[in-house]
Amino acid sequence: MFFRMMNGALLRQKGKMLMIAFTIALGASLATAMLNVMLDVGDKINQELKTYGANINVVPKEASLLDDLYGVDERSGVSNKYLQESELGRIKTIFWAFNIVDFAPFLDTKVTLNGAVENVELAGTWFSHHLDLPTGESLDTGMINMKNWWDVSGDWITDAEEDSAMVGSLLAGRHQIAPGDVISVAGKNGQKTLTVKGVFNTGSDEDELIYVPLKVAQDLADRAGLVSRVEVSALTTPDNELSRRAAQNPKSLSIKEWETWYCTAYVSAISYQIQEVITDSVAKPIRQVAESEGAILEKTQLLMVLITILSLIGAALGISNLVTASVMERSREIGLLKAVGANDFPISMLVLTEILLMGLLGGVIGYFAGLGFAQIIGHSVFGSAIDIKPMVIPLVAVLVFLVTLAGSIPSIRFLLSLRPAEVLHGR
Amino acid sequence: MNLLELKEVSKIYGTLKALNNIDLSVPKGEWLAIMGPSGSGKTTMMNIVGCMDKPSNGSVILDGVDISKENPRSLTAIRRDKIGLIFQQFHLINYLTALENVMVAQYYHSLPDEKEAMQALERVGLAGRAKHLPSQLSGGEQQRVCIARALINYPMLILADEPTGNLDEANENIVLDIFRQLHREGSTIVVVTHDPEVAEEAERIVVLEHGKIARIEDNHRGEQEEG
Amino acid sequence: MYLRMITASLVRRRSRMLVALLAVAVGATILSGLVTIYHDIPHQMGQEFRSYGANLILVPSGEETSLSGTDVKEAVSYFPSDSVVGVAPYRYQAVKINEQPFMAAGTDLAEVRKTSPYWFVNGQWPEEPGSILVGTAVADLIRLVPGSQLTITGNDANGKVFSRDFTLSGIVQTGGKEEEFIFMSMADLEDAMGDLDVIDVVECSISASGTQLNSYVQQIEASVPAVTPRLVKRVTESEGTVLTKLQALVYLVTVVVLLLTMICVATTMMAVVTERRKEIGLKKALGASNESVTKDFLGEGLILGAFGGLLGVGLGFIFAQTVSLNVFTRPISFRLSMIPVTILISILITGLACLLPVRSAVDVDPAIVLRGE
Repeated sequence: MFFRMMNGALLRQKGKMLMIAFTIALGASLATAMLNVMLDVGDKINQELKTYGANINVVPKEASLLDDLYGVDERSGVSNKYLQESELGRIKTIFWAFNIVDFAPFLDTKVTLNGAVENVELAGTWFSHHLDLPTGESLDTGMINMKNWWDVSGDWITDAEEDSAMVGSLLAGRHQIAPGDVISVAGKNGQKTLTVKGVFNTGSDEDELIYVPLKVAQDLADRAGLVSRVEVSALTTPDNELSRRAAQNPKSLSIKEWETWYCTAYVSAISYQIQEVITDSVAKPIRQVAESEGAILEKTQLLMVLITILSLIGAALGISNLVTASVMERSREIGLLKAVGANDFPISMLVLTEILLMGLLGGVIGYFAGLGFAQIIGHSVFGSAIDIKPMVIPLVAVLVFLVTLAGSIPSIRFLLSLRPAEVLHGR
Repeated sequence: MNLLELKEVSKIYGTLKALNNIDLSVPKGEWLAIMGPSGSGKTTMMNIVGCMDKPSNGSVILDGVDISKENPRSLTAIRRDKIGLIFQQFHLINYLTALENVMVAQYYHSLPDEKEAMQALERVGLAGRAKHLPSQLSGGEQQRVCIARALINYPMLILADEPTGNLDEANENIVLDIFRQLHREGSTIVVVTHDPEVAEEAERIVVLEHGKIARIEDNHRGEQEEG
Repeated sequence: MYLRMITASLVRRRSRMLVALLAVAVGATILSGLVTIYHDIPHQMGQEFRSYGANLILVPSGEETSLSGTDVKEAVSYFPSDSVVGVAPYRYQAVKINEQPFMAAGTDLAEVRKTSPYWFVNGQWPEEPGSILVGTAVADLIRLVPGSQLTITGNDANGKVFSRDFTLSGIVQTGGKEEEFIFMSMADLEDAMGDLDVIDVVECSISASGTQLNSYVQQIEASVPAVTPRLVKRVTESEGTVLTKLQALVYLVTVVVLLLTMICVATTMMAVVTERRKEIGLKKALGASNESVTKDFLGEGLILGAFGGLLGVGLGFIFAQTVSLNVFTRPISFRLSMIPVTILISILITGLACLLPVRSAVDVDPAIVLRGE
């Protein structure tokens, strides 16, 4: 009889029950979408923040940072002040290899431009370099990806164009160089004629530089197979107490802490791992980028958490409100059931089972609709899919269950407190 | 002259003939009772006369107007202006006081007038309970509010559906007293009931069976005729 | 009578109406809260992005080698004062410690803390004259620790040799070029150099959008010829990209949440009104026209919407404020325009939600409604 009654309620009150299921579905889809977006927003924003460029700088151990200020390096060119170009692929073999988005080596040297007396800086780099890793994988990496804020008039050059160059806007302005012009540069090891393919404006010191493919700079500076620094762009986890301590001195950590630190994508841990694979190197987080990324990531996540909480509360109140309203509506029916001798318990069970069944239906529909909403957000904001986190399913299930239950309880109590006579006599 | 005239009225729900070819006329000032077992078509007839439903066939002429030809909008207007409805279930608005429930009818009719509404309540002996909500009133009191509401706009026809169906004897008498009073004042009253005692009070009793008029009893002339 | 009926319905059916009011208030809270946050995001996040440091620098124009304080002041006056996060002037000077060459920078250290919040200082920021900061590269090279005393020598503006003692108060770590410098207050450097009012470059951290920054640049270029303003592309361009995405994210989230919430509110209102089909039937039986029945319910809906909206404005602001204080540790600005907008939308939604079930109910024959129980 219980089932017959429930069937009756569910099927014959189709409209009303569907409305409950619909509202629950809305709430559940809201929860699903928000939770999924919230859990993935960190990764997404992290990717976006990569536009700020490298957050780790790898330099040779004991390299004097004063070189470029005084030009004292030219005579003391010992090999341990350089990194080996052949070792660079190893950066993609570290524990957090997957988090390394891009990297580009640089070889800085001084040249004379068009026979002038004054030295100008020339840097060789990878623009977009194809690299085959020992692991069998291959990747394309280089400066084009890392410096996408550059304002380039003309074109980027490729690694193969060994007779082309890009010139910084300040230098170009001083020497009246425009894209298409031909310049001649002379280094320690000879002279080279280059066609300027592009002039770039960055608003920083780089505007004084000439960029050429790495091979060209190595030839000019007589530093075959060597680079002076590597910029690495990595996805990192915002710093916390542990990582700050580790950054100061990794040896101060206990073994357990050390493992946690090493296996978390802190910028200091990634730097440490890069140092392990590149001979005689020091990998230093660029604080301007690393710190700010952490701050912005944290804020964004917190913001999303709070908005999610608000929408969850909204969804919860919306659902329980509707459940309350629609259960109260049935006072006459319940009064009748009581009048024919139903006890409180079976009545509560009847109402609860109905509502929870609707909750299940709405929850399932809502979950999938929510995935859809999450993907809409992901594609239109970040241009990529939002990762679907399985942990959202139990979260939403528990939420819907609790909320429908919470919505039913006050109204069920209200119904039970009804006296059948009053209800039936139309008060 | 006849206030209400039903000519060959039928009401068909699917294959069921709820009313089958009814002819009936009600002169002004008459107190008419409609009796019959459940399913005999009492309520259907009441709904049609009360402008809440339309016949499938035939015509219903109320105060010279054929209401079976009218659209829902003018039916509403006719109901408002000419008919006072009294229900078995009272149907009071439960968040309004007795007085306000009476005033609602005034409001939809023309203008609410608190004094007049109060007089209507006095007439049914409820002046002291004017500020009470329906839930604070007994069944008899609620029915009296319902009557006061039905009377407030001086309807031509008072239509009562089982007005004593939910009342005990004492309250039944109070309600019948009010009806007698109304009758003396010249109101036309149609009461649908299956309580013979209530029906006895009327001048004429129409007995319905299977959607047809089985017989009409004339209380005061003592005559009987086949319907 | 109309008002009397509506207020009676609202006051005497308290529990149901509370349910409805709650629904409307929740919707309005989410609406006003999220929209306030959405409006404040660019501003608040823009502030956060200032931790990337200067986004605009001022350099001398043409052949000039240095800027003067008055030119800088004039240029800076083109930035709205409430969006200036920090303006730090720098003067660079080659000096020597123990006969080793270094570069010293004189600056306004209090402003540097604002323009370059990412600096990690091991030790203290200098507060008194005579105390300085050095980069880690410098500190490593000559083995300095916070608290060390050191002597800086060099040639002053007139070519004479100077020699001054300083206390090292902190060591700067940035991972960048700053690690190679010695930082001291502008007054200390000017004192040593013996001349005033020489500025090589000014770093400005301005909380503004890319287009605003560009317009500042144009204004300064046009009106202060001695100063050339330049945007730090890496910061401004990237900030533009990321901020646009963030705002789009909050925008979409707001739209989705609002859409779903509004439907939720509407269904609840519909449930509350549908419950009263009997009342609608009765009113019609009493001779109420469809319009007057609709008017009755609409009136209730409007009052509910107005009160719910008002409640929502308050609660929404509290929510937005909480978010802002928690996330950005800054209070949010209250937007007066949110009051009418929220209330209007609440009224609209509630009215619409009332209208739908009422319209379907008034078309039903009153007899059916009265009997169907």
